[in-house]
Parts: sequence; C-alpha cells; structure tokens
Amino acid sequence: MGLGQDVIVELEAIVGSDHVRTAKGDLEPYARDATPLFRGVPDAVVWPRTADEVAAVLRLATRRGIPVVPRGAGSNLSAGTLADRGGIVLVLTRMTSILEVDADELLARVEAGVTTAALAEAAAAKGLLYAPDPGSRTVSTVGGNVATCAGGLRGLKYGVTRNYVLGATAVLPTGEIIRTGGRLWKDVAGYDLTRLLTGSEGTLGVLTELTVALLPMPATTNTGVAYFPSLADAGRAVTAVIADGIVPATLEFLDAKCIGAVEDYAHLGLRRDAGALLLFGDDGGADAVERSLTRIGELCTRHRAMEVTLAEDVARSEALLAARRCSLPALSRLGTLTILEDATVPRPRLAEMVGRIDEIAERYDVSIATFGHAGDGNLHPTCVVDRHDEAAADRAHKAFGDIFATAIDMEGTITGEHGVGAAKLPYLQARLGADQMALLRRIKAAFDPAGILNPGKLGS
Amino acid sequence: MTNLFDPELLDRCISCGFCLPACPTYALTGDEGSSPRGRINLMRALDTGVLDVDDPRVREEASFCLGCRACEPVCPAGVQYGQLLETWRDLQWTGRHRPVVAWGLMTVAARTSLLRLVGLVRRPARGAAAGATSLMLGCFERGLFPGVSRAARRLLPGVAVPADQGCCGALHAHNGQSHQGEEMARRLGEQLPGVIVTTSGGCAAHLATVLGRDRVHELSEHLVATGVTPVGEVRVDGRRARVALQDSCHLRNGLGVSAQPRALISAVADLVAVPGEASCCGAAGTYSMLRPRDSRRVLDPKLDAVEAAGVDYVVAVNPGCLRQLDTGLRRRRSRVRAVHLADLLADAAGGRALPRPRRRALRAR
Repeated sequence: MGLGQDVIVELEAIVGSDHVRTAKGDLEPYARDATPLFRGVPDAVVWPRTADEVAAVLRLATRRGIPVVPRGAGSNLSAGTLADRGGIVLVLTRMTSILEVDADELLARVEAGVTTAALAEAAAAKGLLYAPDPGSRTVSTVGGNVATCAGGLRGLKYGVTRNYVLGATAVLPTGEIIRTGGRLWKDVAGYDLTRLLTGSEGTLGVLTELTVALLPMPATTNTGVAYFPSLADAGRAVTAVIADGIVPATLEFLDAKCIGAVEDYAHLGLRRDAGALLLFGDDGGADAVERSLTRIGELCTRHRAMEVTLAEDVARSEALLAARRCSLPALSRLGTLTILEDATVPRPRLAEMVGRIDEIAERYDVSIATFGHAGDGNLHPTCVVDRHDEAAADRAHKAFGDIFATAIDMEGTITGEHGVGAAKLPYLQARLGADQMALLRRIKAAFDPAGILNPGKLGS
Repeated sequence: MTNLFDPELLDRCISCGFCLPACPTYALTGDEGSSPRGRINLMRALDTGVLDVDDPRVREEASFCLGCRACEPVCPAGVQYGQLLETWRDLQWTGRHRPVVAWGLMTVAARTSLLRLVGLVRRPARGAAAGATSLMLGCFERGLFPGVSRAARRLLPGVAVPADQGCCGALHAHNGQSHQGEEMARRLGEQLPGVIVTTSGGCAAHLATVLGRDRVHELSEHLVATGVTPVGEVRVDGRRARVALQDSCHLRNGLGVSAQPRALISAVADLVAVPGEASCCGAAGTYSMLRPRDSRRVLDPKLDAVEAAGVDYVVAVNPGCLRQLDTGLRRRRSRVRAVHLADLLADAAGGRALPRPRRRALRAR
C-alpha cells in the first residue's frame, strides 16, 4: 500500500531525511529477520536516535494507524521483527551509547541498540560480569534481549535476562515516555511494569534505555565433558547433580545426531559412539570450581557415564564449550533450510522429551537433532531439510506443531528463550488458554489503543 | 529473472546476522542493506525477480561492498560470500555499467605484452625457470613495487621467476568478469611450474580458488611451511623496530593465513598488536580508485590506530594494501612507514634497506 508522501515528509522532519528509507531496494534487506521462511516487506525503514524521536514517530503512527515494528539486530528466530503488515520498521541500532557502568552499584545503563557483547565487554573492563549470555551476543542488542527475555548458556545458575533488568525507559505507542523500575534490586512500588515489558516483544512499548544489574566477575571458570550411552542416562545424571545441591553455571547436552554433526564440522575429538554428551561448567573461586566439577564428574560416572574429562586449561575449556556453541552451524551445513526451535519441559523430563521428539521426527520422516540447556530443561530441536523440498518443509512444520503440543502436555512451554513472535503465535493459546489470551489483549489495548505496535504478534 | 545465483551458495545463508558486526560498510552506515546478510537478501530479491539489476540500491551495494570477506570466518553456516559477490558483479557490471577505471586496469592486466613492458622498465625479480617452486610477479606489484619481488627472491634463492608471466585474473574476478578471471588464473598456472609463491594476499586467494590450495602459497605461508627462519633484526634509532601488521583480507578471511606473517615479524622485530589490524584497510582491489571517499572512511580509523600504537612500520602482505597504507600515511605526514613483509625480512637479513621512519615531531604540551 505504501505510506503517503505527507507521512514520509513528517518522518523525515522527525529523524532527518538520511534516516528514512522507502525505496524498494532499501526495504528488501529489512523484509527478513533470522527466522527461516518468514518474510514481510515494510513501507519504510526509520532509524531514530533518541527516545524523543521514537515518541514522535509513534505519535504519528498512532494518529495515522500505521504499523510500527521495533527492531534491534533482527537476530530473533521467531519472526518477531517482521513487518508482515507493512508499515514502519523502527531500527534502534543507532542508539548505541553505554551511558554508565557503575562498579559500586553493580549496574550499567545503556541505550537499547548496544550489542550484548559490547555491554559485557564494558562491564568486564571494570571487573564485572553481565550474566546473560545468549548465543547471538556479538550481534543481538540489549534492547532485543530484554524484549525477548533472552536466555543462554549460563541460565541454570544465573537465570535469564529478566533477572537482570532493574529499569527501563520505554516509549508507549501514544507517545508517552515512561521510566519503569530504576536502580534498585528491591522496589515493589506499583505493578512490575519492568517485568511486563521484559519479554513483551515490542508489542507494548519501544524500549530505548535499560538499566541492568551486573555481578562481580568470577575469579575462574572451567568446563568438563561427560559421555553417556544414552540421553536417558545423561538425564538421570542431571537430576542427580541438582539433587546433590550443585548448581553449576553451565549444564548443556548434545544428542547423538548433534555429536556426529559437530564432530564432522569442527573435529574436536568428540566420541561418536556416545548416545549423548553433557557439558558442565562452573565459575567462582578456583577451589570451589574444582570441587563442583569433580563432584559432577563423580555423579556422572555413577550414572553410567562412559567417560568424564575435565579441561586442564582455559584453551581446552573453550574447545569444549565450542562443541556446544557450534551445534547450530554444524547442523545447518547438513541442508539448506535449518529450523532451530525452542521448547522447554520440566528438567527431570528432558530425556523423555527428547525421546518423544525422536518419535515425532520419525513419524513425519524428517531429521531432527536436539541440543540445549539440560540444566533448565530448555531444548533446541533442530530440523534440517532441503529448502526446495516443500513437502519436507511442510512435514517439519507439522512435526514442530506436535513437539510444542507434547511440551505443553508435559507442563512445559512452547518457547524458553526465543520468544513467540509471529512464528509461534498460532501455538500460544494452547499454552496460555483462552482467558489469559483475552487478558493479554486487554493489556495490549491499554498500552496501545490503536494497535499499531508490532501487530500480528503478542496481544493480537 | 530467476536462478541467477548458484542456489547452493545462496541457500547457505540462514540470515542469523552474525556477519553484521564484522562488516566494515555496515559499521559505516548501520543499514542492513550494506551488510552481508542484507546484500544476500538483495541477491535473493534479484534471484526471484523482486528487484532487478537496475535498482539503484542493488547497483549501489554491488559496488559499495569492499569484498573483504570479513563475513566469511564469522559465518556459522559457511556462506561463501566472496563467490556470491563475484556472481553478483558479473550480473551487475556488464557493458555500460562496468566502472571505467576497473575496465582500464583489467585491459592492461589482461595483456601479457604490456606487463612485459612494465617488467622492462621497473625491473622486478628475474630468475631461471627451473626448480619446483616459482615466484609470481603480481601485475600491479611489478609496476608499483618492483622491489618486493626482488626482496622475495633474496629470501627464496632457489625459486624460479619466469619472465613471461601474465596476470592471475583476481582483478577480473572481483570486477564482474569471473570467467575471464578463472581463465587467466589457469593460464598462469600453466606458465608457472610447481608451487606458486606470491607476495600478494589477494592473488593468493584467487589463484587458490582456481588452481587448488596445494599449488598456491602466499610468501609468509611458504616461508613458515618450508621452515625458513628469518635472520637478523630490523633496527630503528639503535633499538629493535616496533612493527604492526595489516592483514590482507583475502589472505586472512579467504585462506585463513594470519599467524604466519606475525611469526615472521616477531622473529625480526617487536610485533605490536593494533586494534582493527584484521579489518579491511579500504584498498580492496580497485575499490580505492572506484570509491575513494568510502575507501578513506574505512582507512582513517585504521591509520589513527596505527599512529596511536607508536610503531615504526606497518607491514602489508598485499600490494594494494601497501599502496593504500603508504598513500594514507604520507598524506598525513605520519612518521610511520608502510612496508611489504618481503622488504622487512630482507632488511633484517641485511639485504635491502627500508625507508627510515620520520623522526617523531616534538609535541608542545
């Protein structure tokens, strides 16, 4: 449909003509995010620099009923940043100031477009840790991480992004700029809008600034690996570890298919005869880390581990972590369409869930490998098919429908850390029920009466 | 228009965006369209007919891209972006759309007779055509920096240097004539016996793509692989020289060679790490001539970093980078000198004297 010339002139007046693009060739690169098979072409791409500019764009959009899709680096896997109804893609990557890193208060204040890695580096420079560690941290923005409540490899001990957001500045679709929370851990004055905005996927307001909690940098970290004959054995070992009172920073698993793919790709010397491997890591004082890893090793051995190895040094530790980090690239090279999904079940049912995934994959005749965060029951079943084989893509799609239903049956959920976006909206009601869906819509309407902000996503 | 690109190559991209922080042009604009992922989406739009080759943004991006391939090592899915770019430019830079400067350079490079003339005037290395290893004389290097091949020959006394060699065709492959580029590489492969040693990272990567990795060695790679230990030391003002390295994009990102030049420099001088040393200097083949303004926007922060590091020399392993650094440093009257790795090593061995760094100006405080 396109925006009227008057709208474009107004947008240019707000952000400057260099920061509004409407030509076909300028829009095409913003027609996708990291979600395979999803596409949505916007009518304009706009790059604001300040919250005031964001507010002016949103006021205009509300007045004229134009959809606005906020976007950071567009690295999400749920079609959460696609303008599938046209309108404006509002790109926040010019807002990249690190406003403060305070070692006494243990917090940082950053603009939304700062990458997670840049925040982590700024914190590390002062001897501090920004704990959330999503796999996309070099590219993804803090604003996007908060909007999706990103997870990562350190979730078990440290929790996810939500646990670190102390305060946010958000622009509402009607143009108000609100500051929720602040600089405090303890603050219960009013509804917890900071938590509501965290994970709201750009449907309630546009996050422009975040205050996040930091931790002292742990003195050491180390990693070990344990090979098991089957994932069920690995699952029992995980349960034993948690029951023993150990909460390691990292507890990740790869199934046999992943081990094979990773070994083919990266030649890390993994054991191909294993049915599963567990990667465990911890951080803290050197003695405590050694104690915790040794104990985990013992518990793994007691639960039928074929082999347990602790890294001797940082380099070896990094090599082990690489096995987990390269699961996606390794798998993606097996075909031309890689669908990486995200489901979570209660931790003790992880192995059972992977077994069910294998059955489902067999039923639909697709290949699904699974890796993920054993410590939090968060798994990433990943299907690789030929992009041009539409029938296979369709079967994969149906298989994932069954996988989500199975996760819900097990009192799990349809996404642990990637978000709902447009891709998983069809499954949301099964997870939340009709009453909650209706409540979500009422909340959405309270923030966004004209329904312009990221339509077709949460609250639609 | 459909299937303009090899679907195998285009489908590889999973749109994860991991390439964004590695891309120098994305760093300049912050616009997806000038990132590898965005450009691949433009190629996809070309492939499906959503956009055509006359779309202004498509044309702009085909030329704005440096072709530095910094996106390749960080790509989880292994997208061969360099090859996609070659196909894209083949489509884009046909007939009247071909940049005139690039056309002129390619015409000269494609004529062996003209190159021979350059050889007569500028006197690059020469040597009997025998032995299992030959030294390639880059077509522009022999005109601009003939001393580099002479220095390389001094480091590798046994190497053959056939006089009648042509151009490897990298220039053509990167400027919209990938078939001719391939053809020229093959012909050069026939002219040069055995392992081909080159003092140009860009040529090395292109030749290796066509002739195979086994037959092509960049100089530093060859010296390390054959166990040649550099001798001597480079000294400035009575002390060991402080030296930075500028990686050649194609050498580092295309062939994965980055440790070898560092090891060699460390053997003869104090190697100083400079932030951004692995990112493109903006020379990018013909880029500095086709898009001088953008080329300088890429170069300037790099020169700032080199100067701030307080080095005497910055070493290049590719003639294009050497020219770019040299021009940039002279323009700002820097005390730092740009030199080729071959020259640095020859100087250390006492074979060839480097230009002296300027004396550091006394700054009023």
